[in-house]
Amino acid sequence: MHLTTTRRRPRRTLALATALAGTVLALSACSGGGAAGGGGGNTGDGITVFNGATGNIAENWNPFTPTALQPTLGIIHEPLFYYNLASSDAPEPLLGTEFSWNEDGSQLTVTIREGVEWSDGEPFTTEDVAYNFNLRRETPEFNTSGQTPAAEAISDTQVVLTFDSPASYTQEANTLGNTPMIPQHVWEAKSDPVTDINADPVGTGPYTVGSINAQTYELEANPTYWGGEPKIPTVRYISLANADAASSALLAGEVDWMSSFFPGFEDLIASEPDLAWVNTPALTTSLFTCSNAALGCEGPQTDPAVRQAIYYAVDRDQLNNLAFEKVAELPSPTLLIPGRDDQWVSGEVEATAPSGADVAQATQILEAAGYAKGGDGIYAKGGQRVSLNVQVVSGYSDYIAAIDAMTQQLAAAGIELTSSQVAYNEWSANQQNGTFQLSMDSIGLGASTDPYFTYQPRYATESTVPVGESAGALNNARYSNPVVDAAVAAAGSTDDDAVKAEQYAIIQKEIARDMPYIPLVISSTLTEFNTSRATGWPTEDDLYAFPATWKAWDNGIVLKNLKPAN
Amino acid sequence: MRFYLQKIGFYVAALWAALTLNFVLPRLMPGDPVDIMLSKLSARGPVAPETRRSIELMLGVDSDESIFSQYASYLGNVFRGDLGVSVTYFPQTVTDTIAATLPWTIALMGIATIIAFVLGIVLGMLAGWKRGSWLDNLIPVTTMFQSVPYFWLALVLLYIFASVFRIFPTNGGYDVYGTSPGLNWPFISSALYYGTLPALTIVLSSVAGWMLGMRNMMVSTLSEDYILTAEAKGLTPRRIRTMYAARNAVLPSLAGFAITLGFIVAGSIVTEQVFSYPGIGQTLLSAVQNNDYALMQGIFLVITLSVLGANLLVDLLYSVIDPRTRARA
Repeated sequence: MHLTTTRRRPRRTLALATALAGTVLALSACSGGGAAGGGGGNTGDGITVFNGATGNIAENWNPFTPTALQPTLGIIHEPLFYYNLASSDAPEPLLGTEFSWNEDGSQLTVTIREGVEWSDGEPFTTEDVAYNFNLRRETPEFNTSGQTPAAEAISDTQVVLTFDSPASYTQEANTLGNTPMIPQHVWEAKSDPVTDINADPVGTGPYTVGSINAQTYELEANPTYWGGEPKIPTVRYISLANADAASSALLAGEVDWMSSFFPGFEDLIASEPDLAWVNTPALTTSLFTCSNAALGCEGPQTDPAVRQAIYYAVDRDQLNNLAFEKVAELPSPTLLIPGRDDQWVSGEVEATAPSGADVAQATQILEAAGYAKGGDGIYAKGGQRVSLNVQVVSGYSDYIAAIDAMTQQLAAAGIELTSSQVAYNEWSANQQNGTFQLSMDSIGLGASTDPYFTYQPRYATESTVPVGESAGALNNARYSNPVVDAAVAAAGSTDDDAVKAEQYAIIQKEIARDMPYIPLVISSTLTEFNTSRATGWPTEDDLYAFPATWKAWDNGIVLKNLKPAN
Repeated sequence: MRFYLQKIGFYVAALWAALTLNFVLPRLMPGDPVDIMLSKLSARGPVAPETRRSIELMLGVDSDESIFSQYASYLGNVFRGDLGVSVTYFPQTVTDTIAATLPWTIALMGIATIIAFVLGIVLGMLAGWKRGSWLDNLIPVTTMFQSVPYFWLALVLLYIFASVFRIFPTNGGYDVYGTSPGLNWPFISSALYYGTLPALTIVLSSVAGWMLGMRNMMVSTLSEDYILTAEAKGLTPRRIRTMYAARNAVLPSLAGFAITLGFIVAGSIVTEQVFSYPGIGQTLLSAVQNNDYALMQGIFLVITLSVLGANLLVDLLYSVIDPRTRARA
């Protein structure tokens, strides 16, 4: 008896386990969101986009949350105007057609486009626009700039936005270009707009949400779009684990549009006739320095002479060849982008950083500042050797290769560079709290191409805090200079480009001397396309939008410009 | 009865210790979720000084609350089944995030682990029964697959079967273009197809351990006196092999198997990274990268519970299968 029962048990356990596994698989099928749809995509007329999403996709179309799915901004909910960060052109009208400032810069009057409909058929009105700004202003969770204007619809076509202080010109790009429009009649009914995922979003944009589950979602062309129904019927977004998976998906024709850097991309793409790429360098990779001893920074880099010496001792051509696949460009000591921002660059500073290493200049700067070479070939002053540590995120292979090259380049100029590779979290915490000497990072994009959005967050005293407190993602160099502060304030309170240019020239002279962020190269931003299903992608000659798939507002502009390939 | 009470008491204490560690460990990591979110936002667009406050309010990150009251409310919430709201996937709750990803992991890793175990035990039994046969010579080959680092083996197979020969897909859990998740055959068949290569790599890399262990136990069991007795009684070789030798030889492997089941969740990270498989391993990785305390705690809780649960199950089952292990008080 005992024997027979136990004999069967193992078998039954196994059978049970197999059955259980089967059920679990079936369950996973149910939990996927249950949305209908599918089809199209890779085999049909639609295109597939990889925007850098990894892992699980959580449905969230709430444009106020920083975790919203990226098409929420620009594709489903449009702003009033579009600011193209790839060019210096004037903002392009979307839901707004015109705007003007009043005399003292406290009120902005916006004229809206007529005949626009929400995707549920209701008309888009000035009341909707006013509701948007007032909701943002009154909800602390949404008021990300802290300076959202009060809004009033003065007619069927015009809205007046009133700021708290005069000369609020610097809020223009953020207000007009960074505020997604949501429908009042839908949002009024939401009990908690902060945690609402805004399922089945109602927007004015070129696409609406088709289906979504935890692995993928599909957008469908909006037939009543004011600019005409987009030509590409469906756009599918997928999630991939990493850049390796993305590159193999691109080469296998499973992805039509993505922005990832992968080694050897030029040859790989050239071998596939349907693939194309465009490079839009816009982020200046720099050595961020904790520059201000008065705010608690420690180390040789608190001396501007050391930062200057590093600036000259770096061989940027070599960095480009060894680390950046020869697609990076020379940066400007003004931290602006040569070409795009030429109108703002004063003639008093070098237009671009030197391409080769200038060891003589570097050593001369150090010696003039009182440094003397020690027996080990490294400069020192007052017993302190010019030995610096640079922190970098582990796994950022191009940055790590660049640091390896710089270690040798700087050694030639008598500067010792050591590096520590840390996890992203630690790197970011160090940088924001000022507990670093040098840090590899890049200067992010602003609300518009106005240099104010580069200078105010990175260089103004008001954007920084002492070491030990978090400066957010702002002035992590802890740079503080009253001349720069005055110029930033002056540039921010005028609408006159000539006055701005004068002030920016003052800033540029100061920062080119002090160099709290040492520009290395302007990193490539590569975007890859598959032209076999859709054409009309941005090219080097026609950058009608910033083509990167991670750039929120621009995606909507690109998608409505695409046409089926045949 | 006292035996079971003792066991359960031990597991309750272990659970408490694990829950406490789950709470403490994520908070020892550098950085906090708001800083990381700000740093990511700043690369893509402008960030104002006021942005920090608005994000803190939205995520409900109240930095003023003391660590002890956080701990107390955490324990309370866990027992109510409320794991909090994820920061990475805000405003999705941790429970929903886990529910969306865990089934994929359990299905893939669970099935693969069971296949590897069954295959390893059966092959090990046969190899031990007929020492020196071709099957016995297979063991070094399978051990080689186990000794190669798993991610390397997975990458090589992915390259060969998905990139060069294109027999299997390169990534994903199912065909996102042609099927939609649900209880329909196209989806299930596609999920099985997409899971084959990842499962194959897991089986290949883990079958050797089971096989070797089973074979050696089989060899030593076969020299026991009761095997001789069974042969003397004239039982069929098949009956001796399965009922007398294998049944006793499998006991140590069975314990190992249960523990492996418990580690399925934790062990899936590499597999899911290599194959872009939509499971909980990837979610854990993004939780760690974003300092998402609530999500990390939730996933650690799942791991803790599965390891403890598997162990408890083995403990209890073992005392049924093998009466010798029951404590004699």
